[in-house]
Amino acid sequence: MWRFASRGSGEGRLAEAWRAAQPFPHLVFDDFVAADALPALFAILEEEPVERYEGDIFTFEASAPEPHTEEFRTLRASFGNTLAPALSRITGKQVRSADMRAYAYRVGHYLLPHSDHQDGLGRVLAYAYYLPSPEPPEGGELELFRCRLAHGELVSTVTALLIEPRPNRLVVFDVSDVSLHQVREVLGGLRISLAGWFYP
Amino acid sequence: MTTLDELFASRIAVVVPEAVGPTLAAELRARLLRTGYTRYALLDRGSYDVLAGPDEPALITALTGIATRVTGRALVLAEARALRLGPGDYLLAHHDRLHDDHPVELMLDLSAASVPGAEVHYRQRGRAYFRFASQPGAVSVVERGPAVTCNHTYVSKRHAGASVVRLIVLLRDAEEVDRRREEAEQEVARLRAEIERLKR
Repeated sequence: MWRFASRGSGEGRLAEAWRAAQPFPHLVFDDFVAADALPALFAILEEEPVERYEGDIFTFEASAPEPHTEEFRTLRASFGNTLAPALSRITGKQVRSADMRAYAYRVGHYLLPHSDHQDGLGRVLAYAYYLPSPEPPEGGELELFRCRLAHGELVSTVTALLIEPRPNRLVVFDVSDVSLHQVREVLGGLRISLAGWFYP
Repeated sequence: MTTLDELFASRIAVVVPEAVGPTLAAELRARLLRTGYTRYALLDRGSYDVLAGPDEPALITALTGIATRVTGRALVLAEARALRLGPGDYLLAHHDRLHDDHPVELMLDLSAASVPGAEVHYRQRGRAYFRFASQPGAVSVVERGPAVTCNHTYVSKRHAGASVVRLIVLLRDAEEVDRRREEAEQEVARLRAEIERLKR
């Protein structure tokens, strides 16, 4: 299902692109899922319930941290098993598994700036895969910030890059103290994604 | 036996509507604007305009009177500031300070018009237990426990031109303020003595 570089093919270029990416290491893959595999993917997602989550930094709908259906669990495992070996080689960070939740950002939903990095959680790489939407979203871009640290504290945060949530696009990015990013408010339509982290 | 929940519920958190009228609110907004706000934009914590120590003694005295009537405590000003939030602005809970002496916090909504979704949330262990919705002229009175944090929710960009203005006043028991002043004076004296010792 997942169209990712097979061992060796283009990994050197991807590793270079990873290291050179600004404001922090990231990669963007378009046409990530074969078109003829999308209906099967949607069929799995349709069975996975989502509910509204609200905190001081987010408002969105999402599936539960642990999937309800065996099919979604299998999808999660297949995603992690397929990508982890190649991403380990490309990023130089050893990862073995991934978690996965489905997200629906409706009008007015957002995820404010944060780094994903928390001691003890073991998040090494973050990812988001944008699904084709029946109502293409307006807004909802992934925004990456350039941060400056002084004595371990953030002292400056500046917008550096906007990544559109284009359908069938995968974004993978580094998790660190300075991997500050946000999902901009969705101003129209519906933004559907699968997202999570890779772990050692 | 008093349960933690009973202790939790016993704290005061109320909204007093129509504490100031629209004419006075407009005058106050104009004075704050003339004094000048400073932009805060460390985006992992907040995005807003702030004015520390607004020179509004009559208003603060009147608000202190409201807090005294609501709480039955003899309170004096500890600090005050004004916040202004426009579309896209917010202030996160982890940017707020914890207080261990149960101060009373007043939040006066000086906005010209109500802004849907622009709320202040008081949280206990992450859970929002008191919400102060956008309500021009109203003031919230909250006794803050030691684990209480506060966040100002994201102001949607769908409300172009929205402006949320809040005057925040922190009040402490008069005895507590005296105790803190005494401690501060002792610390200054200790530092002066240390400097003199180092000079010798």
